[in-house]
Amino acid sequence: MNEELIRKVIAEVMAEVATGEGKKAPKAELSAPAAGIKITELEKATKGTSPKEVVLAVTPGFGVHFQGTIVDVPHGEVIRQIMAGVEEEGLTCRVIRVYHTADVAFMAHYAAKLSGSGIGIGVLCRGTSVIHQRDLAPLNNLELFPQSPLLDAEAFRAIGRNAAKYAKGEQPVPVATRNDPMARPRFQGLAALLHNKEMRYLDRKRPPMEVKVEFTH
Amino acid sequence: MAMELNEQMVAELVRQVLKGVNGAQGAPQVQKGQGGLGAGDFPLAAKRPDLLTGPRGKKFEELTLDNVMSGAVAFEDFRITPQALEYQAQVAESAGSPHVARNLRRAAEMTRIPDERVLEMYNALRPHRSDKAELLAMADELEKKYEAKICAAFVREAADVYERRHLLKGDLPEA
Amino acid sequence: MAVNKKSKRFEILRQRDVHKDGFIGEWKEVGLIAMGSPNDPRPSIRIEGGKVVEMDGKKRADFDMIEQFVADYCIDSSVAEEAMAKSEKELAHMLVDVDVCAKEIRRIFLGLTPAKLSAVLDCLNIVEIMMAMQKMRVRQMPGNQAHITSATDNPIALACDAAEAAYRGFLEIETTVAVTRYAALNALSLLVGGQVGRPGILSQDALEESFELQIGMKGLTAYAETVSVYGTESVFVDGDDTPWSKSFLASAYASRGLKMRFTSGTGSEVQMGAAEGKSMLYLEAKCVMITKGAGVQGLQNGSISCIGVPGAVPSGIRAVAAENLLTMILGLEVASGNDQTFSHSDLRRTARTIPQLFAGTDLIFSGYSGVPNYDNMFAGSNWDIEDVDDYLALQRDFRIDGGLRPVLEADVIAVRNKAARALQAVYDELGFPAITDDEVEAGTYANGSKDMPPRNIPEDLKAAERIMKEGITAVDVIKALAKRGFRDVAEALVMMMRQHVSGDYLQTSAWIDSEGYVWSAVNDPNTYAGPGTGYQMSDERWEEIKAIPWAINPEDV
Repeated sequence: MNEELIRKVIAEVMAEVATGEGKKAPKAELSAPAAGIKITELEKATKGTSPKEVVLAVTPGFGVHFQGTIVDVPHGEVIRQIMAGVEEEGLTCRVIRVYHTADVAFMAHYAAKLSGSGIGIGVLCRGTSVIHQRDLAPLNNLELFPQSPLLDAEAFRAIGRNAAKYAKGEQPVPVATRNDPMARPRFQGLAALLHNKEMRYLDRKRPPMEVKVEFTH
Repeated sequence: MAMELNEQMVAELVRQVLKGVNGAQGAPQVQKGQGGLGAGDFPLAAKRPDLLTGPRGKKFEELTLDNVMSGAVAFEDFRITPQALEYQAQVAESAGSPHVARNLRRAAEMTRIPDERVLEMYNALRPHRSDKAELLAMADELEKKYEAKICAAFVREAADVYERRHLLKGDLPEA
Repeated sequence: MAVNKKSKRFEILRQRDVHKDGFIGEWKEVGLIAMGSPNDPRPSIRIEGGKVVEMDGKKRADFDMIEQFVADYCIDSSVAEEAMAKSEKELAHMLVDVDVCAKEIRRIFLGLTPAKLSAVLDCLNIVEIMMAMQKMRVRQMPGNQAHITSATDNPIALACDAAEAAYRGFLEIETTVAVTRYAALNALSLLVGGQVGRPGILSQDALEESFELQIGMKGLTAYAETVSVYGTESVFVDGDDTPWSKSFLASAYASRGLKMRFTSGTGSEVQMGAAEGKSMLYLEAKCVMITKGAGVQGLQNGSISCIGVPGAVPSGIRAVAAENLLTMILGLEVASGNDQTFSHSDLRRTARTIPQLFAGTDLIFSGYSGVPNYDNMFAGSNWDIEDVDDYLALQRDFRIDGGLRPVLEADVIAVRNKAARALQAVYDELGFPAITDDEVEAGTYANGSKDMPPRNIPEDLKAAERIMKEGITAVDVIKALAKRGFRDVAEALVMMMRQHVSGDYLQTSAWIDSEGYVWSAVNDPNTYAGPGTGYQMSDERWEEIKAIPWAINPEDV
């Protein structure tokens, strides 16, 4: 995330606070050019039957109100890489949008429960991701990627690949992630800000929806 | 060699400083708890070892390396008893920590519950794990099987709170 | 003036480390504010028949689970009306007035509500917070805790670093894992290495909560602290617990003779997007009160793993000091943070530690990285072992006791070597993958895991599994040590096992000295009442702190 974008987010928040606009539900835009993706909402998401699918859950703001992760990986690229990773292993990836929670563990667990293979992935706008399996406790997981600033395009591809491998019943080597002790001082405050922005697009009563994803560049 | 000297020296210094402070200030208010023991009896291992035993009746002074090596003392003997927890509760009360005493008295009751069952009960008390009847049944088990009256009342109270705050099993939307 | 011309000075400033840190403006609506949010409730209380029926503007029927727990288990209803009638300024004044004793403050403050407590602390500036800390810390002697971890979970490195940390003066050592399945072996390394370094040191293994309890039941750890509580109902439930389940767990620990403390910290709720618009300190007041209500003896707080959040907003580090103080006010042991990377700027990270270091707390760090930060599996601490001479210099500069002592290189080498050999013997006796003499040598002289030869990880993991499956306990370790000539270390382990029988170290702020004697708030309570009172460094301790080995001795020149 570059300085300009940070400024923009903060300025936007400040403006909303000043005008009290934040109290109203923000209007839903349906595409964001810089994200490189067009998301069209279809019907209510249902439980799949194909053992060859992995379900990917994103939040309502993903690719709409936010364009990229905390380190500027465009949201289109995030989905493209995850899908490519899943497809590399010969499986397919179905995308849903979860409205009732932005807790990435619960999102991924929900995706896993809808997935024909029992494997789901959850991704937040800032990039934080989880690979989940439907029979695990929600706060348990197969793989957790809590440090969003360290996730690049390659990492998202590996996440897709590993999710597909779990779906095939394999025990893959966990995705190697970097450990950067200085990510916290740099990004944690911003991550909290972004998460609170993301939460504003939730609708506790709305069920998860199936979505169609088109890449625009 | 130098190392061992330093170690001993430091240990001795720390002890002197602290024992000195205690002596000079007379700080702990030695005020007997209702059950008998007070802050002045602390630490029990040094001041009241006569009151301490392992769960199979081994005396505190018998818990030595030689007895471990000979097999006279086993792992099972290194476990706290409900009596010791009650004494510590009295010490905590006398030192002005009734909250700690309350926790230690719950703990005294829980010494009677096997390790695995304790872990299961903890998990059953987590949100959205149990319905009200299951929690109440667990409270009955605590009271009847383990004579754990305080814990039983605590679980019954949790059942009411969980019901009011929608934290019981089934209160969560299912996929 | 040219429009696009840049100032050379500002160019330099932009390159400074402090510009790598994230700073964020306040966003009160969601609770991205350290203290005193306009959304914090106005303090109020109503008592009927000894029961709290209204608290901070809310009727009992509307209490969430946290409010009900705090009202029933923490607040002293017999003093609440008297306490709440006092003004915030008056209460704040009591905290800094050396003539008002800690006991009286606790009596009154246990009658206050979360909104009142946080509002009182908002009246104090940072120096006043430190003055109050000096008086309110429950135990007289300050202390310190270290993190001992390894990026490769190298058992020899862990044992050597544990021994060195114990020898340097830390009262407690805490480990966690790079690979989860190593957990039992890491606990073993800390147990053996720690008792070599200084008999009596307390060790813990921060993992999933039921595992922590199991490993403690085996006698391989002495205590636990990563038992988290939160200040809003939704975050608490998302953390998969309630105040009742956490209290039950706390009693389970005590029932097995194990010390434990809870963990909480400012910023965790807003980080989860569920602060309900409340300030970080107001929500933390609830966490401290939950801990008190549960009857747990202590709390690790000071934002902990969320430090980047209060660290990014105005007055955030003051709030972090205030939450430590609040813990002390309610009579709890505090392990006061400073345990996570906080800033790229050496100036900022030093300043962040000053309140706890200068005032003194039960455990100033929770913990100080006893290994280089690249090996720190808690994602890095605010200070690491490579900063330790700076730390010793600060103790000496300001004549403060930060819990550490200067050491000689030869002594550290000797203690590390003994730890490695003791672990080598234990592994051999238990039939675990051999520790070679080369590994002992490497561990003796290593700075971090990069200096260690690689281990056969799958084989080590089998040994870790054996500990859990075959019921290997501390007694097996004791026998192995004694059999192989490490009788003194075996004696130290027996002494630690006796603590599980006496339960002395379950009392507030307990630590264990080299002879197994337990010191706590019961027999070493803080007696501060102005200059010349409270913790006074002995002459011997001051001589020790003065004697940094690299200072020039005037007689030698």
